[in-house]
Amino acid sequence: MSAGVQAQRYGSGQAVRRIEDPALVQGQGQYTDDVSHPGQTHLVFLRSPYAHAVIKQVDTASAQAMDGVVAIYTGADLVAAGVKAMPGAAAFPRPDGKPGASAPRRALAHQRVRFVGEAVAAVVAETREQAQAAAEAIWVDYNELPAVVSALEAIKPGAPQLMPDQAPDNIAAAMRHGHAEAVAAAFAAAAHTVQVEVANQRLAANPIEPRAVNAHIDPADGRLVVRLSSQMPTAVRGGLADAIPGLSAQNVRVLVGDVGGGFGMKTGIYPEDIAIGFAAWQLKRPVKWRADRLEEFLASTHGRDVTSRAELALDAQGRALALRVRGTANVGAYATATGVAIQCLIGPWVSTSIYDIPVVDLQYTAVVTNTAPTGAYRGAGRPEAIYLIERLMDAAARKLQIDPAQLRRVNMIRPNQMPYKNPMGQTYDSGAFERMLDQGLALADWAGFDARRAQSQAQGKLRGRGIATFLEWTGGNALEEKVTVEVTADGYIELGSATQAMGQGIATSYAQLAVDVFGVPIERIRVLQGDTDRANGFGSAGSRSLFTGGSAVSVASQNTVDEARDLAASALEAPARDLEYRDGRFEVAGTDLGIGLFELAARQPQARIRVEGSAKAGGPSWPNGCHICEVEIDPVTGAVQVVAYASVNDIGRVVSPVIVQGQVEGGAVQGIGQALCERVAYDRETGQLQSASFMDYAMPHADGFLGFKTRFDTSVPCQTNPLGVKGVGELGTIGATPAVVNAVIDALAHAGLGADAQAIQMPVTSERVWRALNLRQMDPSPFAG
Amino acid sequence: MTPLNLVVNGQAASAVVAPSTLLIDFLRSNRGLTGTHAGCDTAQCGACTVLVNGQAVKSCSMLAVQAQGCQVTTVEGLAQGDRLHPLQQAFMACHGLQCGFCTPGMLMTSACLLAKTPQPSDEQIAEALEGNLCRCTGYVNIVASVRQAAQQMAGGQS
Repeated sequence: MSAGVQAQRYGSGQAVRRIEDPALVQGQGQYTDDVSHPGQTHLVFLRSPYAHAVIKQVDTASAQAMDGVVAIYTGADLVAAGVKAMPGAAAFPRPDGKPGASAPRRALAHQRVRFVGEAVAAVVAETREQAQAAAEAIWVDYNELPAVVSALEAIKPGAPQLMPDQAPDNIAAAMRHGHAEAVAAAFAAAAHTVQVEVANQRLAANPIEPRAVNAHIDPADGRLVVRLSSQMPTAVRGGLADAIPGLSAQNVRVLVGDVGGGFGMKTGIYPEDIAIGFAAWQLKRPVKWRADRLEEFLASTHGRDVTSRAELALDAQGRALALRVRGTANVGAYATATGVAIQCLIGPWVSTSIYDIPVVDLQYTAVVTNTAPTGAYRGAGRPEAIYLIERLMDAAARKLQIDPAQLRRVNMIRPNQMPYKNPMGQTYDSGAFERMLDQGLALADWAGFDARRAQSQAQGKLRGRGIATFLEWTGGNALEEKVTVEVTADGYIELGSATQAMGQGIATSYAQLAVDVFGVPIERIRVLQGDTDRANGFGSAGSRSLFTGGSAVSVASQNTVDEARDLAASALEAPARDLEYRDGRFEVAGTDLGIGLFELAARQPQARIRVEGSAKAGGPSWPNGCHICEVEIDPVTGAVQVVAYASVNDIGRVVSPVIVQGQVEGGAVQGIGQALCERVAYDRETGQLQSASFMDYAMPHADGFLGFKTRFDTSVPCQTNPLGVKGVGELGTIGATPAVVNAVIDALAHAGLGADAQAIQMPVTSERVWRALNLRQMDPSPFAG
Repeated sequence: MTPLNLVVNGQAASAVVAPSTLLIDFLRSNRGLTGTHAGCDTAQCGACTVLVNGQAVKSCSMLAVQAQGCQVTTVEGLAQGDRLHPLQQAFMACHGLQCGFCTPGMLMTSACLLAKTPQPSDEQIAEALEGNLCRCTGYVNIVASVRQAAQQMAGGQS
């Protein structure tokens, strides 16, 4: 292993500049919509204006005759051509024991539409404008049906039915975890119980790059090549091959260039991808689609949307005895395995978080409604679960009149309990939670809060303080990765991986790990992703890339040096054991004989050295931390301002200090967005999407908050991967939402609302806060009405 | 169809365009300048921001023919030859970008700001960027990048 000058400057742990950035700051990125092919056509979708309707007839005749129109497809056309429906949620059980239910989700709706914005027809034309004009000329005769957009409404008797044959109760799936009787006994014997009722509102991921797909036939081999903005190229290839007759993994190639943000929303295949692939395959012409923002709001998967009642039983000293949760998740019009798993399984895995709670009773029901399907969004189940337990901790502290930090402290799992198996059977390999708490309290000057509150009060503002101590599960249950290393004659080391960059800077992190081993300048490392001809795998989701793919980079790099040593030995006619490798060069110890790694590659028959390596993590990684937020509320307007945010994070060993700080802080702003302003809103009667533009869906802007204190404690490496790293991509988002809301509740409680303040729901808008302060009007329980 | 003559990144450009052609589509399709990005189509995200006669403009909401005779600068025209603009350098130095999709718009809006207000406060920077959305960074490092660029353009630390 080299510890030469390059590794000291550019290796892991060093604050390097990202290798992605020079192209991106010059406008030289290659996002999907930036690529066009000769003879490029453009596809536009016609989408349902109704939340729920029977499609009686689709008349495309006049649209077909319009200028530039190449082809028009309807759902009936695709069914006739044998295009298959996408998989549902059959892997999960329904309450009656039958497989999970979902109406068939098709590339284009057939016979019935189930949410506003569902694609009904696709128009391919020579220009985008021509396709748009023709789409408007398609006449669809709908028979509108009653719609339901809330999960709690959808499970009431007499509610509109989305899949009357399969599941007249609209329940896609349901899961129970834990021991109901043991929990009931614990509650009966408890000194204290607390309860919260929470609507974890539906969110839109909103990467700034809209989805885009460009499919064409490779003239060289006749295969279908689909370029798109995705976190999971291999899954898209599989989905295309499954759906479109005549395609298989062998004759589909998926390419991904630069991805303008993913946040989980670009995992898996979308119906649009299939329609575009089908059109290009049929027409033998390049077909491109770029979503406009309205389509993104309407038809990209949404996140969250689960309504829960959560209860915690505690003894007289404040030790938690049992947790009970009843959650109803709105998974949208089509239940997917991902949408169901996030709420019914992944959230529950972290429901007890970092606390030593012996028993749980968790019941989750996934319900279909006339809304866009839900899927992964940054955190995916963990933010929802952590929000519940962190709200319960604060409720308990308030009831027991214990400092909320202290209540958390007495309940924390101790380092000597590691590895710790939680009541859901998940094993935490490592964690020093109290250590993070202590550092967090110091960083936030927890003890000095009263003085700051007094200062705020002197200026007519209400100040509140909120804390979240928590962990999260990472890895996506896909823990193995393979990496290919190619040392080229022209002086580059190319790392090929099926993990996928989406803006997080994974190429830089991989390059740093390779520099550790090879000792070459970081400019010599290239990271090649986004090509299913080169590498196949799960892709990037669940904060898995560094601890799975990065581990494989290290292993494959070391394998390469080992293999190159043998090649160098024969080139130098010296025993391999006498060779020393350092900074890109093998030398015979004690002599001036040597050969450079790249020169060695040039001498090989293929003019390169190609080596593979793989790594398999022994389990998920469990990043964790302590996030503390302070807010100021203007009682006149109800406006909430985050005025301080301190976090201490355990992500194990840090490879790229700059990148991980960006991940935690950028992630935290998304979490703040959920707490304070973001909400996908559908009209209850009509099912129309009311938050369908950036004017209506409020996201954080630059003037929101500009002062984070972010620290990393690297003293607790992960035990289950060779790098000792823990996933960082979702941590900030998960911690921020409860920290912010707990701070708002603290301010309101202190202003005279007491425990009533706990009724406030997200997003905590100025209107909600103003009503609470000035009218003593709290949100009704989400279970009421 | 309408004849269009303008200057893009210092070079004269002539084309015949449909009157309905948006400036962004002219830049991306006709000129091949794909650094200008469409993020929302409704003038809220700012990813499409370019300079028209030095003024930051959202090119998704301007017709190409409205730029008749104008000087248009896109992100591709920000560097002076091989020398990156101080804003480009600062965004790299301060980790002011992650996915990079909003970055061209952030750079062009900031360039307009610094041309008018060479030493902005953090509040002025944040206010100037009010019409540019970023979903990755949380904005902290973007504001820091603009601040650093301003200092560098002023000839060192202020």
